[in-house]
Amino acid sequence: MVDPALSHSRARFLRWAIYGLTSLIGIVAFVYPFFLPALASAGGSAHAVDSPLFLGLLGGFSLIALLLEAQGDATSDAKRTALLGVLVGLNAVLGFLETTIPGPGGFSPIFFLIIVGGYIYGGRFGFLLGALTLFVSALITGGIGPWLPYRMLVSGWIGMGAALVTSLNRVLRLQGTRWELVPLALFGGLWGLLFGALMDLWFWPFAIGPDTQHWQAGVGLGETLKRFAAFYVATSFLWDSIRAVGTIAMLLLFGSPTLRTFRRFARRFAFTVVTPAPGVQPDPLTVREGHA
Amino acid sequence: MHPVAWFIWIGAAALVPLVTRDPLYLVIDFAITCVVVDAIRTQPFTEAAPVFAAPLRFAAFAVLVGALFNGLISHVGETILLRLPDAIPLIGGPLTAESLVYGAINGLILATLFSAFAVLTLAVPVRDLIAYLPRAFYPIAVVSAIAATFVPSSVRQFQQVREAQAIRGHRMRGLRDWLPLFMPVLIGGLERALQLAEAMTARGFAGGNGQPESQGPAVRRGSGTVAQIVLVLGLGSVLVGGVLRLLPGGARWFGLDLSLPLLVLGTAATLWVVWRAGSHVHHTRYRRSTWTGVESACAVLSVVAVLPILILTLRGEAGYNPYPRLALPGFDPLLGLPLLGLLAPIWGLQARRNGTHSAEGADGIGVTTGEGRRL
Amino acid sequence: MITGDRLGFRYPEAPQLVLSEVSFAVAAGDFVIVAGPSGAGKSTLLRSLNGLVPHFTGGTISGRVIVDGLEPVVVGPQRMCRHVGFVFQDPESQFVMDRVEDEIAFALENAALAPGEMRVRVAEVLDLLDLTALRERSLSTLSGGEKQRVSIAAALALRPRVLVLDEPTSQLDPESAEDVLAAVARLNAERGLTIVLAEHRLERVLAFANRMIYVPGGGHPAMVGTPRDVVGAIDLAPPVSKLGKALGWSPLPITTEEGRAFIRERAFQSAVAAARIGTAPVPYLTAQSLDVAYAPRGNGGTRVVSDVSLSLAKGEVTVLVGRNGAGKSTLLKSLVGLVKPQRGQIRLGGRDITAAPVAEICRDVAYLPQDPNALLFADTVMEELQITLRNHGIAPSEAPVPAAALLAELGLADKAGAYPRDLSVGERQRVALAAMMVTRPGVVLLDEPTRGLDYEAKGRLAGLIRQWRDAGLAILLVTHDVELAATVADRVLMMAGGKIEAQGDPHDVLTSATGFAPQIAQLFPGSGWLTVAEALQGLCGDGPARTGLGRAGG
Repeated sequence: MVDPALSHSRARFLRWAIYGLTSLIGIVAFVYPFFLPALASAGGSAHAVDSPLFLGLLGGFSLIALLLEAQGDATSDAKRTALLGVLVGLNAVLGFLETTIPGPGGFSPIFFLIIVGGYIYGGRFGFLLGALTLFVSALITGGIGPWLPYRMLVSGWIGMGAALVTSLNRVLRLQGTRWELVPLALFGGLWGLLFGALMDLWFWPFAIGPDTQHWQAGVGLGETLKRFAAFYVATSFLWDSIRAVGTIAMLLLFGSPTLRTFRRFARRFAFTVVTPAPGVQPDPLTVREGHA
Repeated sequence: MHPVAWFIWIGAAALVPLVTRDPLYLVIDFAITCVVVDAIRTQPFTEAAPVFAAPLRFAAFAVLVGALFNGLISHVGETILLRLPDAIPLIGGPLTAESLVYGAINGLILATLFSAFAVLTLAVPVRDLIAYLPRAFYPIAVVSAIAATFVPSSVRQFQQVREAQAIRGHRMRGLRDWLPLFMPVLIGGLERALQLAEAMTARGFAGGNGQPESQGPAVRRGSGTVAQIVLVLGLGSVLVGGVLRLLPGGARWFGLDLSLPLLVLGTAATLWVVWRAGSHVHHTRYRRSTWTGVESACAVLSVVAVLPILILTLRGEAGYNPYPRLALPGFDPLLGLPLLGLLAPIWGLQARRNGTHSAEGADGIGVTTGEGRRL
Repeated sequence: MITGDRLGFRYPEAPQLVLSEVSFAVAAGDFVIVAGPSGAGKSTLLRSLNGLVPHFTGGTISGRVIVDGLEPVVVGPQRMCRHVGFVFQDPESQFVMDRVEDEIAFALENAALAPGEMRVRVAEVLDLLDLTALRERSLSTLSGGEKQRVSIAAALALRPRVLVLDEPTSQLDPESAEDVLAAVARLNAERGLTIVLAEHRLERVLAFANRMIYVPGGGHPAMVGTPRDVVGAIDLAPPVSKLGKALGWSPLPITTEEGRAFIRERAFQSAVAAARIGTAPVPYLTAQSLDVAYAPRGNGGTRVVSDVSLSLAKGEVTVLVGRNGAGKSTLLKSLVGLVKPQRGQIRLGGRDITAAPVAEICRDVAYLPQDPNALLFADTVMEELQITLRNHGIAPSEAPVPAAALLAELGLADKAGAYPRDLSVGERQRVALAAMMVTRPGVVLLDEPTRGLDYEAKGRLAGLIRQWRDAGLAILLVTHDVELAATVADRVLMMAGGKIEAQGDPHDVLTSATGFAPQIAQLFPGSGWLTVAEALQGLCGDGPARTGLGRAGG
């Protein structure tokens, strides 16, 4: 038999390796457009042509790996599975309301539950909540397309990242205090902006076109970044700011009652059963309380 | 038609705009997807189609906006139509025909992708989309099924809550007044999740990949480690392969292009992990559609239709670029005409409709002769 | 088939045992009723049969249960599901999939059956529960009874030999409940399936059962025996049994059929009960020729109330009965302004409120919706009351009725600080009532308030209704529960097809309409009696005081 402590630390290492690698791959996929002009001037025009395909591949791999990693834990029993399913459904309804009742600008109510869910139930749960919310809303509203893996990946990151806020709040001893919403709101605001920027990055090669730049002499990475910044400010900054402000407002206004409710229910959703060996008189069988 | 046949068709139809920018092939592909969308919509469908904007209108919008957007932002190209004052930030400068055309092609690509995937939403019901997730993602399929089932009932619950709060004097005056509407729905959802979990447990749902409890979680974890190691290695090679591609000239090492083999290796590793995770899933699927010769024919036709354009694009020969000076796009009938094979589903729908009666008769008494499909 | 040996159980963090030393034996093919008040451990007992207790709930179990040769506590619910099918209270919240046949196949998928075998099994249970025509339907389009039959089919897909049902009809209207219980009885009679059924409304199920387990709760020993023996020994009994007990009938009748045998033997003199004496009622809330067209969301259909006139008087309880879809709920909603009528006028205390906003009307018209959970979201019971006051712009100190006094009136004095969602169904309902009554309205509208309530909670509700009537409130009660209607009604309205078909004294309306007659009225047709007390009075010329059976006991 393998030493349990050793196998535990090995599992931990592998898990973090997966998180690290998928994050890096995701970053590479998202910054890829910045390198295209330089690539193109180096004569790699074939790369430029198939870049959307390549990008899709990279994003898809990160998504698949993270879904595989997260699903085992986040759906380890019927309770977590049902909880996740219900929250995804609820959030998809919120997302649906967003598409039917046009709100102001890029405001979207879905990030609120994703962030709170990840904050309370952990990174893997948050990842699935984020990714599957977009998946199920896409199923309902007919929003399936090549952009879907990207949207799933990014909103999954948001839910996963919310677990880091949990650690931060634990270190700062903010949990349960009225200040615990501040880091959450900052996190929500940051992602409100970042979500739009990352979506733009995916869309950007289509909109501007990789070939545009290499017809201008001397376009380097710096110039590309500058152009993206201009593109971002022109197309989505206002839009994304509304989303960021909306998410912050929701977290500040609804955060405490929602956290209280989640915490109340967290106890009902988590305990471990000690099963007696077959044939042993189960008297008394005790079940211990504890958080999974 | 069988959902997988549709997946193949959509893959093929959506591949064209991803690999070529030649507007002539794009227009053909777009027209075909429109015709197929139309053919599906005139089918006697029992289920209401989801929110869907007519592809033609979307295409007109996308092409127009794409052209304007690129024309205003990008100032390269030799055919200058007019010159906006340089003082205006970002859009100031020459407006060229090339950039307009380039933008219009962008719009056309998006429109084609959009209408190809619209076929998916129209032709395959949500529950089939969920049922045909790869086997490895069984837990995710269950979560998605729960969510999709929960959506209509939570809309109803929202309505009830709205009424219940109204009769205690609740009024919508500000953002804060959403709380009495949101909280009961959330709490009701959590309570429902507990009840649902209990019902699922009573019907033998075990969570995770559904291995019988007797084998113990330890077995699962142990076998999971190998897969995790392979996954880490696969991800590593995808990452290195991807980074190598980004370095101009760096992709070569001792004269060999390493990025492609690494990417292929990583892909293979990831697919193997998915396959392996799937083979460990201790579940079977009830929902399945019959796969007939019609589906095989459609799938083959779809793939054959886009094969020439894919091959030539990978060799860099089917591209079109309006810069630096606008020219007519090239059109090779050997690439363009096979695309018509993408019309196969229209015939497929017809064939399946004619053959439906006999197939459903067999279905009705619960006997299916088709080969069980494992995904 | 099933044996329980000194079964005991304590929930995690609970101070005392919910079950203690319960022993029972059930033979194959038995139909067992499990009865007892809410919270006495019925659900716990049922869940110990398939291992949900303790594997799902947590807690400490003692003693031993053996079902079909297996110990659920040891093997767990995942294996037990092949031996015990389990059906829950609320059909809505046990569905995983959205289509009938997919839902049924869910257990088969979990058991990893081969696809061909699955098709056979699904077809088999569809046929067994008469659902074949519905197999392709979406679950959200089914009626409550059909949904619950799908749940039964889903529980039976793995061909278990025991079917356990935890109050399967408590959320259903009487017709759907009949539908479901008939299906269960057929499974028992034709297939020899062992049935274990928990149920509050004994009058519905006693006819089918041959065994009964009564769990009294509070540490008292459980009673096990034939339904007749157990009903004879407990207070919870259908009206016919109460009457039989009071009159010393033997063997004790447990169904109306059995009761009739005694009546044929002896010739009772029918006598109409004396009409209730009271002052002439003064109309407070009146509706004049209302037409309401209303399309509920996602339902497509348009339910209509047409040309309805009614008046509610202070100090009077009006009961509105009628089948599903008769327009009762819509009528209630239009009275409180949630749905605006197309035609007609509604007046409240002489003021026209037809076009007034809901927020204004509901200060004087309390409306208890069918699902009180839609109302409750605060952290404490007291806070729920304050939210309503805040909505109306009333400072807590200026509340028309002190919150503490109101809670005491509702029997919630010790629950002011409790989390509303942790309370029992009956308590939650009273919290919702408190949240509506805190503005001291003059009218109370109650929509199906007995759903999911046990006898005790129902008795409390009847007590409250009478108390409010005596305090001069106008009360309109919509209910399917004719026994409750018989005990509280001063006046009965009967609705069908959006119209009021009959109205008047309950002794006239309830006894004449088939399907709405309480057990006593069925026993003594033409007598005009509705409750046990009235029957005793009529039969023996005896007041309810001596027999100890008040109106609340019906």
